[in-house]
Amino acid sequence: MKISKYIAAFLFVATLAACSSSEEVLTGEGNVTLEFDNAYNNSDLLLETAPYSANNTEKIKINKVKYIVSNIRLETATGSVFTYPKNESYFIIDESVEASQFITLKNVPEDDYTKVTFGIGVDQEKYLEGATGQGDFLAKAQEAGMMWSWQAGYKFMVFEGTYTSESTTTETAFAFHMGSHGTAVDNYKEVSLDLTNSARIRTDLTPVIHIVSDVSNILDGTTKFLLDDAAQIHVDGVKSPQIATNVSGMFVIDHVHN
Amino acid sequence: MFIIKPIKPLLRRNLNNGFLPVMKKFILLYLGFITFFSCAKDEEEYVLIPKNIELKIPSNFPGLLYDLSQNPLTEEGVALGKKLFYEGRLASDGIISCGFCHEQASAFTHHGHTVSHGVDGKVGFRNAQPIQNLAFFSEFTWDGAAIHLDLQPIIPITSDVEMNETIPSVLSKLNSYQEYEVLFTNAFGDKEVTSERMLKALSQFMVTMISGDSKYDKVIRNEVDATFTELESKGFEVFNNKCAACHSGALFTDQSYRNNGLPTNYKFPEEEGRKRVSGLEEDFYKFRVPSLRNVAKSFPYMHDGRFGNLEAVLDFYSDGMIQNGGVVDTLLIKSNGNLGIDLSSEEKTALLAFLNTLTDNTFLNDKRFAEF
Repeated sequence: MKISKYIAAFLFVATLAACSSSEEVLTGEGNVTLEFDNAYNNSDLLLETAPYSANNTEKIKINKVKYIVSNIRLETATGSVFTYPKNESYFIIDESVEASQFITLKNVPEDDYTKVTFGIGVDQEKYLEGATGQGDFLAKAQEAGMMWSWQAGYKFMVFEGTYTSESTTTETAFAFHMGSHGTAVDNYKEVSLDLTNSARIRTDLTPVIHIVSDVSNILDGTTKFLLDDAAQIHVDGVKSPQIATNVSGMFVIDHVHN
Repeated sequence: MFIIKPIKPLLRRNLNNGFLPVMKKFILLYLGFITFFSCAKDEEEYVLIPKNIELKIPSNFPGLLYDLSQNPLTEEGVALGKKLFYEGRLASDGIISCGFCHEQASAFTHHGHTVSHGVDGKVGFRNAQPIQNLAFFSEFTWDGAAIHLDLQPIIPITSDVEMNETIPSVLSKLNSYQEYEVLFTNAFGDKEVTSERMLKALSQFMVTMISGDSKYDKVIRNEVDATFTELESKGFEVFNNKCAACHSGALFTDQSYRNNGLPTNYKFPEEEGRKRVSGLEEDFYKFRVPSLRNVAKSFPYMHDGRFGNLEAVLDFYSDGMIQNGGVVDTLLIKSNGNLGIDLSSEEKTALLAFLNTLTDNTFLNDKRFAEF
């Protein structure tokens, strides 16, 4: 009798020890929020206010900043990848619509994620799925002014405002619209970012991945654009891909809230 | 066509064990009757199962490029597509339907118009192209501005010089018209109007619009009593030697974009051809090689409808080509090195005879595609 009590006690302790030493078993699903926080250089982006300096020589006031974020994937340190369902993975970030800057992904497997990947724009594969692939996104994009009317395609990025420079003294409109050019030029680009600290997704923990999007990079990135050279760039076989590269380089992980 | 799905009341009643077995039987019998009568009295719920259509592809045609597995053809889907095709309320003025610029008798082009007319008397800067055999194409319009048939209608619907609408507004209009409740329900199972369903229905209708029953087709397929006249045969030979490099295959186009040395049109200074879509300098004034099916009926010709008849088109190729600021296609060089195609007047006469064999009266008069 006494021995069996000891055995029971031992087993109980052993069980406890096993619990505390083993790794957490993650089988559930949780949510994660991606916050796209638009900035200009090191400052918060404010539309239609004081001018920002672009390329040191031009002053710009920004009226519109919108872009399509798509095909979101999360990766763990061990390399396992979670791909958000493609049909639900298209979003429009609009600086003038605050809610649009927070993308919440649902039913993500519990894990510690260390990397996020997303596309800017709409991939050719999606286009080629026809009406099936577009679903409601088509109407949403049109409502948000993210579709061209003369081409059956999406604007991946809209950047508009007015500017002045030494030679342009009256406020002059500028507009950069970037998207793919039919089958001729594919401007869809993917961005992969390592997280500053891992995003711990649990059924009861919804981390926020805070991404800063520095829109000054659109004019002043890998390629420098002077608005005096071209203030309106919509479909340009040479410049549009350069704008796409600048846009894809404007994202930085600021931090992750767990 | 109709499947009857009666609503069966569920019998879920625990019979008390204390009842006599006889009593139990009576109760069951009684409940059985209730069930029986309630069935008979209930309104039967009809669920329409859309009837699949098999697409008949002419034996001399290439394979389909439209993926029907994503949008299976049904009678109800095609019927909805046809209704939408002729629906003027898709436009902001309630008048300009797809069929307004795409008339059947002219191979679904805008009869006699150089460029298309839209809402409020606005004019575009392109000639309406025929709607035929589109399921065999991968890119659409003169410059490839649409890369999927489903997405093509977005352009005319939203262009301010055509139908001047937005997709969300069109959807909300369609949602408010009672007749569409039935049509969408029949085609897609419920009355919800979505962009996906609207575009799929339009595609279904357009996919069925196959023109492959011209005299040319019958001759090629060795059908009984189908032979070219001597002049048509001569024209076919000239065509194969001098035109078929671009106007190739059963569709009479290689679906490429080419600059054919057409002088630019000062009336439409914004026109840049394929460059408008690609943004590439080398694509200036390149246009898609058009299909020549029903070509005798789809006048006027070229992207801006500048030529009123086929004679003028052939004269242009023999004598009218110029360096237009783009890169003129290298296939279009005469034996003397000048731009153009060597064509004698006899050859032109023969070509015209051959081109007329591409007219498909079955298609042009097919009631399935007619508005009324």
